[in-house]
Parts: sequence; structure tokens; C-alpha cells
Amino acid sequence: MSENLLDKVTSESGQAIALCYQCRKCSAGCPMVEEFDFPPNMVMRMVQLGMKDELLKSKAIWMCVSCETCGSRCPNEIRIAPVMDALRAQCLNEGITPADPVTVALHTSFIESIKTFGRVHEATMLMTYKWKSKNFTSDLDVGLKLFLKGKIPIMPKKSKNMAKIKEIFQEAGK
Amino acid sequence: MKYPYFPGCTLYTKAKKLDDAGRECSQKLGFELDELKDWTCCGATFPLVNDYHIAMSGPTRILADTKARGDDKLVTLCSVCFNVLKRTNHVMRNDEERRAKITDFIERDYHGEVEVLHYLQLLRDEIGFDTLREKVVKPLTGLKVACYYGCLLLRPVKEIGLDAMENPTIFEEFIRALGAEPVEFPYKVECCGAFQTVHSMTTATRCSHDILRSAKNSGADLVITTCPLCQFNLDDRQPEIQKSHTAFSAIPVLYFTQLLALALDLPAAGLGFERNLIDPLPLLKEKGIVS
Repeated sequence: MSENLLDKVTSESGQAIALCYQCRKCSAGCPMVEEFDFPPNMVMRMVQLGMKDELLKSKAIWMCVSCETCGSRCPNEIRIAPVMDALRAQCLNEGITPADPVTVALHTSFIESIKTFGRVHEATMLMTYKWKSKNFTSDLDVGLKLFLKGKIPIMPKKSKNMAKIKEIFQEAGK
Repeated sequence: MKYPYFPGCTLYTKAKKLDDAGRECSQKLGFELDELKDWTCCGATFPLVNDYHIAMSGPTRILADTKARGDDKLVTLCSVCFNVLKRTNHVMRNDEERRAKITDFIERDYHGEVEVLHYLQLLRDEIGFDTLREKVVKPLTGLKVACYYGCLLLRPVKEIGLDAMENPTIFEEFIRALGAEPVEFPYKVECCGAFQTVHSMTTATRCSHDILRSAKNSGADLVITTCPLCQFNLDDRQPEIQKSHTAFSAIPVLYFTQLLALALDLPAAGLGFERNLIDPLPLLKEKGIVS
């Protein structure tokens, strides 16, 4: 049990989580609920109850794609996507191994592409992702088709603002 | 009329044709898309927690660059860039504390002065769908189109404000202006599975199959979208869908600017249909839209 979880997540997400009364409209419309270990309405109840360990180790927080369907339909106007984001941040800040490390690998590969080029370059980003996730074989055929159709250029297009971008990342890292 | 334009990374690579067709059509419609100089990535994800500021420094710089040019509007074609820029602008306009932190950090002066417009919105609010209808040279008569919105073009409604969340109509109005017939289908605002497609084939095919089946059952000949990621999930995932759902038959998925270009009688050869996994040309020929 963690008494502070509700306050912490409420403040970081800016959402009035305490108002959730379990109507389950969020879970009824969630496109990802089949991949979740706890449906969104249960995630909300677990935050209210301070079930920190179970939440930070859950798959649900990583499978949410922030489509904002639940938040658009909630009768109390609670948006769950920011709640999920606050839980993801807490999981990484506390050094807990994410239940779905592959999604984390994808996000960090994306950020590295921006750090390097200022823009996203799909070919290098996906190679970094493959390396980080150790998931070498999936989608090779699709990648090849995209390449042959000219949708994945080999050479990256670099932004001319790289000095400024480096500075921003350095400042943020402090 | 000249509009500052932010293409975004993917429109230079995977979704080049969304961009090409959009630019070519703008000339036919009497306005110009003037690309921002030395733009950087918008970040592709809007940060949802209150204390995560770095992800907003990218889009804020883009908006501040637009203001620095002396412009008060910025046009985007990609749903993802539109979502990130529009929501960042919402914070810049309404949250004094976060605005101060971010603008101090990037050393720019910006208070949300720029209006972020999606290309569809520009057609509706600046050009007008009636004017568009008049400029159509080759009406897409007899073509039944499923207008797929997905998430990012619409939600969250309070920050985006483009159209209603459950039953938006901007896309259907656009399609009617082109002379085609929009079909009503219940999955038009459902999520395509987004980036989970990269590591979970079952998730991607489940979501895409639900959407495409819904469109087909409503009588659609093809699906249109504004989003490069939705286009990938709906088009490039069809061979996988066919593996797990043998009764499923293919349906072309185009960018809305490609249909706009056809209606404005731009040559089909330049519209990049060869880059679509499911070839739309047999259908377009059958309907007499492409010869």
C-alpha cells in the first residue's frame, strides 16, 4: 500500500482521479483493453487504493497508446491517458523493469533519432529499435516492401539546427 | 494566399505522397504552402504529464519560428504533427506557468499567437467546401469512400476542436465536395493500434481488421486517412490480416490528398499509387476515374 500514490498521480496527471465511480465506460471503448492485464477502470481504482507495486509492474501502463477515447467519453471528464503517462514515468524513475520493455525500446530509439538528426529517420530508428529490443526477425518482410516501394530512404535528412537541438538535450539532462 | 507549412519528418519519407499531392492541389486551389525553413521534428508525441517540458520545446520552437516570420497561421497535413502542435499551442495560450518555463528554456518569446490549421480545416474554413466543389474538374462520381479519422485528428476535443469526437463530419463534407459518396461506418473514430504495430502483430491486425471490415460492410470501395501511421496500419498490414482472416478481401487505403488530386484532374501517374500496398488503380479504372 502506498498512501501517496493517489496524490502524486493526481498532481502529475492533473486529473481528478478520486472522482472515478467505476461506470466502466472507459473499458467498454478501449481499443487496447484486450492487451491489458488490468482494464482502465481497474487501473483507476488501483490508483485510488494506492496499489503502487501492482500498477508500476503492470503491462497495462505500457500498452495504452493514448488514443484518448476513454478521456473523451468519461462522464466526470477524467482523462486516463495522462494517468498512464504519470505511472510510466514513475516506473522508469524508480528503476522498475517495465512489464513491456519493447515499447520503451521503441520510444528511446525515436528520441535518439531526433538527438542525432533533429528529425526522424525511419531506417536508423528501426535498426536501433531492433538492437535494443533484440527482436531481429519480426517485420523484415514488411520493412523490405516499404524499402522497395521507396518509403524508407537510406540517407537521413539532417536538420540544420543541430547545435540548438544538442543544447536543448544537454540542458534537459541537467 | 500563402500559408506557412510544416510537413514533418514522415512526409519527407514514408508519406511523401500525402505531401506531394497536398502541395500540388494547393496550387490548383489558389493558395501556396510555404515550408518553414530548417524545421525540426515535432516530437510525434504530446507529453501528458505536467512536469515533462522538453517534449514541448520542439513544437514550441516550430510555432515561435512561424511567429518570427510574421505569420499567424501554420498548416500541417499529418495528423500526428497537427495533434502535437495544436496541443502545445493550447498550453502556450492557457498555462502561464508552463509557458514561462518552456519559453525561458528555449529562449524564445511565444504566447500562442499562431493558429494551427490542418489542411482539411484550411479547405473548410479558409477556402470553403463550396468553392472546392466549384474547382473540382473531375467529380469522383460513384466512388464510395470510408472516411477514417482515427484518434489524433480529433482527440482530445477540448484541445483540438476540429470537429465532434463521436460523429465528426468534416471528412464526409470534403468527400461530398469531390463528388464522391461517403459511407457511414461505426469504426471511423476507432484507434488503429498506433505504434503498438511495431512489436505486436496481433494487436495491429486486430485493430486494422475491425476498422477495414466495418468500412467494407458499409459498402466502401476504399478508405481515406490523413495519418501516415494509420495508413501503414490499414494498408501495409492487410497481407497479415488475410493470413488470419481468410474471408477478408483487400481494400485500398489512400491519403485524402490523393483523392483530392484526382478530383482536380492532376495526372494519376504522379500520385504515387505504386507506393500503396493494395493497388487502388484497378478500382479507380473500373469506376472510370482513371483511364
